[in-house]
Amino acid sequence: MTQTFMNWGMTHEWAWFTATIAGILLIALPLMLAVAMIIYADRKIWAAMALRRGPNVVGPFGLLQSFADGLKVFLQETIVPSASNKGLFLIAPIITFTVALAAWAVIPFNSGAVLSDINVGLLYILAISSLGVYGVVVSGWASNSKYPFFSAMRAAAQMISYEVSIGFILICVVLWAGTFNMNGIIEAQRGHGFGIVNGFFFNLLLFPMWVMFLISSLAETARAPFDLTEAESELVAGYQTEYSSMSFALFWLGEYANVLLMCALNAILFFGGWLPPLNIDLIPWFDVPGWIWLFAKILFFFFVFSWIKATVPRFRYDQLMRLGWKVFLPLSLAFVVIVSGYLMFTRYG
Amino acid sequence: MIQAIAFYLFATLVLASGVLTIVARNPVHSVLWLILAFFNGAGLMLLVGAEFLAFLLIIVYVGAVAVLFLFVVMMLNIDFAELRAGFVKNFPLGIAIALVLLAELVLGVGAYRAGALDLGTADGMAAPLAGESNIENIGALLYGRYLFLFESAGIILLVAMVGAIVLTHRGTRSPRGQQNIARQIARKPSEATVNTKPEIGQGVEL
Amino acid sequence: MDLIQYLPILIFLGIALGLSGLFVFLPMGVARLTGAHNPHADKLSEYECGFPAFEDPRSQFDVRFYLIAILFIVFDLEAAFLFPWAVSLDLTGWPGWITMMVFLFELTVGLAYAWKKGALEWE
Repeated sequence: MTQTFMNWGMTHEWAWFTATIAGILLIALPLMLAVAMIIYADRKIWAAMALRRGPNVVGPFGLLQSFADGLKVFLQETIVPSASNKGLFLIAPIITFTVALAAWAVIPFNSGAVLSDINVGLLYILAISSLGVYGVVVSGWASNSKYPFFSAMRAAAQMISYEVSIGFILICVVLWAGTFNMNGIIEAQRGHGFGIVNGFFFNLLLFPMWVMFLISSLAETARAPFDLTEAESELVAGYQTEYSSMSFALFWLGEYANVLLMCALNAILFFGGWLPPLNIDLIPWFDVPGWIWLFAKILFFFFVFSWIKATVPRFRYDQLMRLGWKVFLPLSLAFVVIVSGYLMFTRYG
Repeated sequence: MIQAIAFYLFATLVLASGVLTIVARNPVHSVLWLILAFFNGAGLMLLVGAEFLAFLLIIVYVGAVAVLFLFVVMMLNIDFAELRAGFVKNFPLGIAIALVLLAELVLGVGAYRAGALDLGTADGMAAPLAGESNIENIGALLYGRYLFLFESAGIILLVAMVGAIVLTHRGTRSPRGQQNIARQIARKPSEATVNTKPEIGQGVEL
Repeated sequence: MDLIQYLPILIFLGIALGLSGLFVFLPMGVARLTGAHNPHADKLSEYECGFPAFEDPRSQFDVRFYLIAILFIVFDLEAAFLFPWAVSLDLTGWPGWITMMVFLFELTVGLAYAWKKGALEWE
C-alpha cells in the first residue's frame, strides 16, 4: 500500500505512515462493523435453532438491530457506583476492548496483507490474549460488588486454566510449521493432505489438537457451554453487572471481537487461513481472493460457536476445571511429545 | 528518530509506573502499576532487538505472575492501615537492603569496567549462530550449550510446584462427593430402572 | 529482526486505546448534554438483588484459586521453555529433543503429584 501512496507524490516516510494508519483503520472499523453484524447473526442462529424468529423489527430482517441497540446504549447514562474504584471501573472496559482490537495486528488476511509481519506473531497473540484476563479481573474488583467479584475470580481461574493447554496445542502447530510467523504457518499448510487439501486438520496427529483447540477457545472466550462467568441464574450478569451505557457495550464488543479472533485462529492454525481449501485450480484463470476464503472460514467457525451455544448445556465449575487440568493438559502434553518425536524421526533425525 | 522517541516513552513510563508501584496506597493499584512497568519493560526489550524475551516477559510476568499477585492482594482481606504502620517500622531495614543492592550494583559495574570480569560481551568476533531469528538462536544455545542449566531450571520448577501444593493444599473435603464421570457414562438404563407389573392392591417389593 | 514491523503495532495500540477511551468518555459527556445524567444514591449503590448489601464484597476467597494460579505459572513457564525448543529442533537435533523429554518428565512428575494429592480436584 505504501507504493500507492508514493505514486501520489508523498515521500517514503509519509507514504508508509499513511499506509499504516489506513491499514489500522481498515482492520479496526470493519472489525467493529463485523462485531455488530455477528451479534445479530448470533441471535438469529439461536432463534432459528429454538424455532423463534429472532430480531426482525429494525430494518429489513432486523439487520439494523445491533445499530439500534448501539445507539440506545450510547445515549444512556453511565452509572458509576458510589462504592466502586472509579478510575479502575472506567479503565476496565478500555483494557478489554483495546486488547481485543490489538490482537488483530498480526492476523494475515492474504499473502502479504498483514499489518505487521513479525517473526513471533503467534507469541504476540498469546501475549495479548493473556492480557484479556485483566479487563475482567479489574472490572470485577473495581465494581466493589459481590456478583462481579465472584464472576471475575471464576473467569480468571477459567481463562488461565485453559491458556495452559492452548499454549501446548500451539506448540504442536509450531513444531510442524517450524515458525512462529503467521504467514509462515499458513504457507506450511499448503497441500498438507496428500498435496491436495490445505490445512493441518488433515493431519492425524494434529486433528485431535484442533478439536481440543476449538473447545479451549470456547472456554477462553467464556462462551457457552463454559459461560460460568456470567451464569445468569447464579451471578446476574457476571462482571458486567454494575456496568451501563457504552462501558457495558464495550465488554460486549470486546467479547465478540475475541470470539472472532478465536475463530480466525482456528481457521489460520488448522484450516489454512487464506489458502483455498483445496490445493488445485478448480476454476482455471480465476482466483478467489484469499481474504474471502479466510472470512468464509471465520464465519463457518462462528456458526459452530453459536451452534454449540444453542445446543449444549452449561458446564459446572468442577467439570470445567477437570476438563482443563485433567484431560486437556495431560493430553496436549502427550501430543507435544508424540508430534515432536514423529518429526524427529521423519524430518530432523 | 522514532526509536529514540519510543525509547524515551517506554523508559519514562517504566520509571513512572515503578515509582507509582511503591507509592500507591492501595495494593491493587500497586500491582496494576507493576503490570504497566512490566509491559513497558517488554517494549524496551523489543527496542534492543530481543523480541522473544519481550513477549516472554509479557506472557510469563504479565500473564501469569501478576495474575497471582492480583489474586493475592484482591482476595486476602488486607488491613491497609496496619500495613502502613509496618512501613515506618520496617523503613530502616528497607533502606539497608536497598543500600546493599546499590553497593552490589556499583561493585559489579565497577569490576566489569575495570576489566576484571569477562562476561562474554559480544565483540563482533564470535561466529554467527545458525538460526536466522532471535528465538531460534536462543533455542540452539539453551538446548545445546546450556543444557544442564536448563535441566536444573526444570528441577526448580518441580520444587516450586511441590512446595506450592504442600503449602496451600488443605486436603480434599467434599461434603457433596465427587462426580465419577466414567461411572455415570457406563451406567445403563437396564441397571438403573426396573419394570414391574404389580397386581392391583399389592405393593411393589423393592 | 525488523524493528519497523513493530511500529504499526505501537500505533495500533495507541489508536485502539484512543478509540475505546472515546467510547467510554464520550457517552458520559453526551449524557450530561441530553440530561440522561441523573445520579442519585439508590441508583449508585451496588447491586445485590434489591436489598442493601450485607457485607464487604471483597471477602476472603478459597485458597484453591491461588493454587490454580501457582500451577498456571509453572506450566506457563514450561510452555515458555517449549517455544524456542519447537523452532530450533533442526539445530539441536536428538540431544535437544532428549533434553526436553527429561524436562517434560520432571514436570509430569509434578503434575502426577498434584493429581495424587488432589490439588486438581474441585468439589
